[in-house]
Amino acid sequence: MTKQLIIATSNDLVRIAPVRIVYISSDGNYSMLVQADGETRMLSFQLGQIEKMIASQLGSEGNIFIRIGKSLIINRSYIYYINMPKQKLVLSDVATFNHTVTASREALKQLKELLEKEAK
Amino acid sequence: MKEDKEIRDDEIRIIGNESPTPQPSARRLWRWVAGGLAAVVLIIVLVLAVRSGREAAQSDAETYFDPQPAPPVTEVRAPQQLGQAVDSLVRGFTEMRDTTINDIPLRIYIPHNAEMALHVGRLDKCDTTIVYAAQAADIRRDNRKIVGAFVLKGEPLAWGLSKKGYCAIIDGKITVGVAANSPLFEEATERDGYFFRQYALVDNGQLVENEPKNKSIRRSLCDRNGEIMMIETLSAESFHDFAQALVDLGADHAIYLVGSTSYGWAVDGEGVRHEFGVENPRMPRNTSYIVWRRE
Repeated sequence: MTKQLIIATSNDLVRIAPVRIVYISSDGNYSMLVQADGETRMLSFQLGQIEKMIASQLGSEGNIFIRIGKSLIINRSYIYYINMPKQKLVLSDVATFNHTVTASREALKQLKELLEKEAK
Repeated sequence: MKEDKEIRDDEIRIIGNESPTPQPSARRLWRWVAGGLAAVVLIIVLVLAVRSGREAAQSDAETYFDPQPAPPVTEVRAPQQLGQAVDSLVRGFTEMRDTTINDIPLRIYIPHNAEMALHVGRLDKCDTTIVYAAQAADIRRDNRKIVGAFVLKGEPLAWGLSKKGYCAIIDGKITVGVAANSPLFEEATERDGYFFRQYALVDNGQLVENEPKNKSIRRSLCDRNGEIMMIETLSAESFHDFAQALVDLGADHAIYLVGSTSYGWAVDGEGVRHEFGVENPRMPRNTSYIVWRRE
């Protein structure tokens, strides 16, 4: 069975399959989880804490996620388009959703090189 | 795995992967190597310069005649300035620079050879003296009056303190600051000046928190080392993240300008007008703007 990511606070709990997460962005002391069904969920954890949860709970399966800079964790399965000059990254399943996020040129360059390297 | 705080905005890492993350590109390594070589060359040049200076001093001491006048000292522009050095005879324009801070894409507008004033009412798009315009104070939804104290060329149009940030323009001097009560309001009324209030974003280099938590296109009027500039986000951001980006950019004082789809434009050095926001012909007649005009 595919591992589920569980994000729990003293009051609530979110349980979600990693593949249903499109990206998580930092919003100060909080994080915003964007789901594949279009829903967004505010999490009362900083992005670094979420990153640690992913690493500890999912282990090697967590490597579908890539941390980009200080404010973004993306699901690499949904990387659709990278435009370095415009600092634009589009995450899409090319069917139902399409999210545009921004990142630094250098980070996008490294992401592009990573994907190119993996394709070889 | 590296700790969270170690990641920079120009880095990526695969989560849950113990194998090494992508290494910096070869070009980046070359940059380091080139930077190191440049530093070595610089040190050598400095050492040679110091030696030749000593030799020159010795030869001057042995000279009988009056020493020759020292070569003119070239003006060194403060490295803190973001804008380019512009000749005062150049026709006024707005320098536009794009950058990214904390992953927030920003556009910086720096007017040159232009003066700032306030304007109330519809802008004349045919006015070719305007090199930058953006909405200044907010308008109340209920009575369409200007929010906060406002002075237009010495005439007070509104009173009140709903926002602590202020901008005063008196005798051409622009002051951006944060204060509940500022004597600059009265001074503006006495000396044909201008004054308006907005949300404070940065006060003496410190972030100022604001109540609204939504995300939107943000704009601000900043004083950075005495250099006045307008800064706009190219993506929707919260007040907090925007203010933090301004702090990280080095702003000493910054107040908000109306963001979102509010309309304005900048004229670049080529005379090309770059509009932002959405033009709305049905704006309230109390809509106010900061307007930079060519000197």
